[in-house]
Amino acid sequence: MSVSERHYDVVATGSPNAGLPFALPWLIGLIGLTVLPMIGSLLLSLTRWDGLSVREGMEWVGLANYQSLLSVADEGSDGRLFRRAVGNSLYFTLIGVPLSVLASLGMALLLNTGVRGIALFRTVFLLPYLLGGVATILIWSWLFNPRFGIVNKLLRSAYVALDPVVGLFRDAGTSDWIVPEWFYSPHACKPALILLQLWLAGGAVLVFLAALQRVPRHLHEAALMDGANRWHCFRAVTMPHISPAVLFNLVVGVIFSMQAFDQAYLLYNRAQDDGLLFCVLYLYRVAFEPPYRIGQASAIAWIVFVVIGALVVPMMLIARRRVYYEVSR
Amino acid sequence: MTSRSRTRTIVIYAALVAIASVQVLPLMFALTTSLKTLDDAYVFPPSLTVADPQWGNYLDAFAKLPFGRFMLNSALITLAAVTGAVFSSSMAGYALARLPWRGKRFWFVLLLGSMMLPSQVLLIPHFLTFDMLGWIGTYKPLIVPAWLGGGAFNVFVFRQFFRTIPRSVEEAALVDGATRWGFYRHILMPMSKPAIVTVAVLSFVYHWRSFLGPLLYLSDFRTFPVALGLRMYQSMAGTWINLLMAASVVALIPVLLVFAAGQRFLRSGSAQSRG
Repeated sequence: MSVSERHYDVVATGSPNAGLPFALPWLIGLIGLTVLPMIGSLLLSLTRWDGLSVREGMEWVGLANYQSLLSVADEGSDGRLFRRAVGNSLYFTLIGVPLSVLASLGMALLLNTGVRGIALFRTVFLLPYLLGGVATILIWSWLFNPRFGIVNKLLRSAYVALDPVVGLFRDAGTSDWIVPEWFYSPHACKPALILLQLWLAGGAVLVFLAALQRVPRHLHEAALMDGANRWHCFRAVTMPHISPAVLFNLVVGVIFSMQAFDQAYLLYNRAQDDGLLFCVLYLYRVAFEPPYRIGQASAIAWIVFVVIGALVVPMMLIARRRVYYEVSR
Repeated sequence: MTSRSRTRTIVIYAALVAIASVQVLPLMFALTTSLKTLDDAYVFPPSLTVADPQWGNYLDAFAKLPFGRFMLNSALITLAAVTGAVFSSSMAGYALARLPWRGKRFWFVLLLGSMMLPSQVLLIPHFLTFDMLGWIGTYKPLIVPAWLGGGAFNVFVFRQFFRTIPRSVEEAALVDGATRWGFYRHILMPMSKPAIVTVAVLSFVYHWRSFLGPLLYLSDFRTFPVALGLRMYQSMAGTWINLLMAASVVALIPVLLVFAAGQRFLRSGSAQSRG
């Protein structure tokens, strides 16, 4: 804030705290719903408590919760299940996020060509993302129903069309086509969920579209004039300009994927053999299903927080050297 | 047009149509399933066509479960939360954009930091706090936080927008004897429709879809919002997949309407923030 601005503020309002009444509801929320709960969560993670009996039965256990979650030697079910959950979330994030960033970049590039009728295509591309929520998740699970869903029907027709080549995919015994069981399989459940993320990738498409529209046209023309082909153009002109959007989509994607809950909770079933047991779903079970281990669940929250940080912070550090910001640098 | 660029156009259209089909197919399948009898929905192999559309499924979906009630509950929660979010985040945005107060810079940094904070850390302390307040089983945990800032991102949207409004507007109002409140209510907010619509649409969608909050805080199914109610078609005596799809289609309509209504403002809003 410049000196003259500060001068203006005081003169015009007569009070150095004119903003406080306006900020107050938000400040109460920030302190009461963010700052204090964070401290509370940290303290809770150092206790053993069922959350039911107030103050009674709360026991200070130091780092024991963290130890039981992290120690590899301890083959207790806590550590094993937790590592499974972190592994599942990392699989979902490390494979799903780069794929959906690539897919959304591809869609944005197509939409940016500006051919006739593009507005209609843009709406259709974004439709699943705009609708979103529980309804789209349930529609997806019906779509991937192994027997009655349309996805396996399409797979079977593709097999029929390619029969001479893919005869391998017939089951030797029944000569039926081998199709994935999707959400009823320990292996295919995560790919099916990643495909759902790709279907819903419209938010990232919007970010890329906004970035693409800011790439100066004259740079492209100059490059083409100098004999560059389209790939060179993309690498040398487009990529640097959209690199902040790539970083943004990667960071947001990682944070959201590591916290995925709704889809895992709604699509969970026993046939998956814990294949969709993600971090936050495991946290939810530990905290809100008997025996309500509040302390343990708080420790899970903080470990997941650190894992997300360990993914995001290096990305930001690399980006400081690689990402091109037109204005600030 | 050279033959090379014509080939390129054809390839682009082919790709556009292919992706568009993938995006639409699931919705088509939901729509056709919603018009089948339960027996037809569970026929192998499945089909994308309906011989005899059962429009009555849509009435059945409302009759089998109190789906109308779910919609009303959702509308109530969402309306209360969106109103709160617009009020409290615009006030905070005004304070951060234009007004002096002690510690403003510190709180602004905290605002930016809290946008990065993964929410699962807050899940348990929030639940315990609302439990202590006796709010479990009510809508308060879903609504009150929206009146206390309504999300860091919303505050940020308003702050950025208010900074684009010339100070001379405010000076003129104050010289004419308006108070800060008067300026905020009668001049600033009416000038800020793009920001208001942006925040309203985003928080509408957030609250309409919200699943984990209602799951934690509500247990009586008569108080359920749509996001929780949809699941009930699945759990009772197998799945009424045709009714579930009908209800899903109905649940998507309000979102579609809100986006359609807000679109004009959203576009001009993004144009403003770019300029």
